[in-house]
Amino acid sequence: MQERVTHEELMRYLDGEVGPEERGRIERSVEGSTELRRELAVYRAMKDDLQTLKLADGVHHGSIWDSVNRQLTRPIGWVLLVVGALVWAAYGIFIFLTSPVFLLEKLATSAIVIGVLLLFASVIWERYREWLSDPYRDIQR
Amino acid sequence: MGPEVERELIRKCKAGNSRFYEPLVRAYEQPGLRLALGMLGNLEDAKDALQNAFVKTYDALARFDLKRPFGPWFFQILRNQCRDQLRSRKARFRLEALDERLELRPADPESGPERRRERAQAREVIWAALEQIGEEHREILILKELQGFRYGEIATILEIPEGTVASRLYHARRALKDALLEMGAEYP
Repeated sequence: MQERVTHEELMRYLDGEVGPEERGRIERSVEGSTELRRELAVYRAMKDDLQTLKLADGVHHGSIWDSVNRQLTRPIGWVLLVVGALVWAAYGIFIFLTSPVFLLEKLATSAIVIGVLLLFASVIWERYREWLSDPYRDIQR
Repeated sequence: MGPEVERELIRKCKAGNSRFYEPLVRAYEQPGLRLALGMLGNLEDAKDALQNAFVKTYDALARFDLKRPFGPWFFQILRNQCRDQLRSRKARFRLEALDERLELRPADPESGPERRRERAQAREVIWAALEQIGEEHREILILKELQGFRYGEIATILEIPEGTVASRLYHARRALKDALLEMGAEYP
C-alpha cells in the first residue's frame, strides 16, 4: 500500500531537504501516483523558472560602508556637542547667578532667555507636528 | 569570510571598535541588497533599508550570541526593516522598478533563440505573478529561490519553527501557481 505524501514532504523533497530514507519513500509514492507526479512537475517547473531570475550583482556600485559609518559615528558627535553645550550653559548660569548684579537685572535677563527658548521650542514643535501630518512627506523632490 | 573571522570581527566590534564592522558590511551588502530589492522592489528603498539594517545590527551586536551564525541574524533584521518600511511608507512592491534591475542568469549555450525568448517571457510572467501574491508568500519564495537559503536559515530569518518552512513554501508556491494560471501561463 502506498504511503500518503503530505504537501510539506513534497516541498522538502523538491528542495532537497530530505534524508535518503525519506527520499526513497517519497519517490516510491510519486512513481505510483499520477496526481503526485503532475503536482511535482508543476512545482519543479515553477522552481526552475524562479531560479532563472537573478538580481544583478552590479546593481549597487560602490560600498554602502561610508553611509553606515557616518550613521554609526554621528551620534558620538551629537553626544559630545550636547554635553559640551550643557556644561557651558551650567557654568554660564552659575556665573550669572553668583555675579554681583541687581536682582532686577537678573530677573529681566532670565525672562528674556527663557522667553527666547520657549519661542524656539514652540516653533520646532509646530514644525514637527506639521511634518507628521504632511501627506507629501515621503515624496522625493 | 569564514565563521571564525566573523566571530573575531564581531568580538572587536562589541569592544567598541566600529572600524572592524567594515568587512562585515562589505561581505553582506550584496546579498543584503538582493534580499531588500526582492522585498521592496526598488533600489532607493532597498538601499535605505540595507543601511538602516546595518546600523540596527551594529547597535544590537551587544546582544548577539557569538555561538550563532551572523548571516541569518543580519538577514532577519534586514527583513524586519523591509517590512517596517513597507508598512510605514504604505509603499508597495513595484515590479517595473525591480524588473529593470534584473538580469537573466547566463543562458544555456545549447539553448536556441526561441528557447531563450520563451524563458524571458516566462520570467516576465513570473515577476508579474510574484507582484500579485502577498508579501508573506513573496518573501519566502525570494529567500528560497533567489537567495538559495536552506530551511534552517529561512526559519531563523523569518523567526518561525523550521517545521513551518515547508508548509509556508507550499502555500506560497500554490498562490504563485494560482496567480500564474490566472494570467494564462501553462505549467509545466
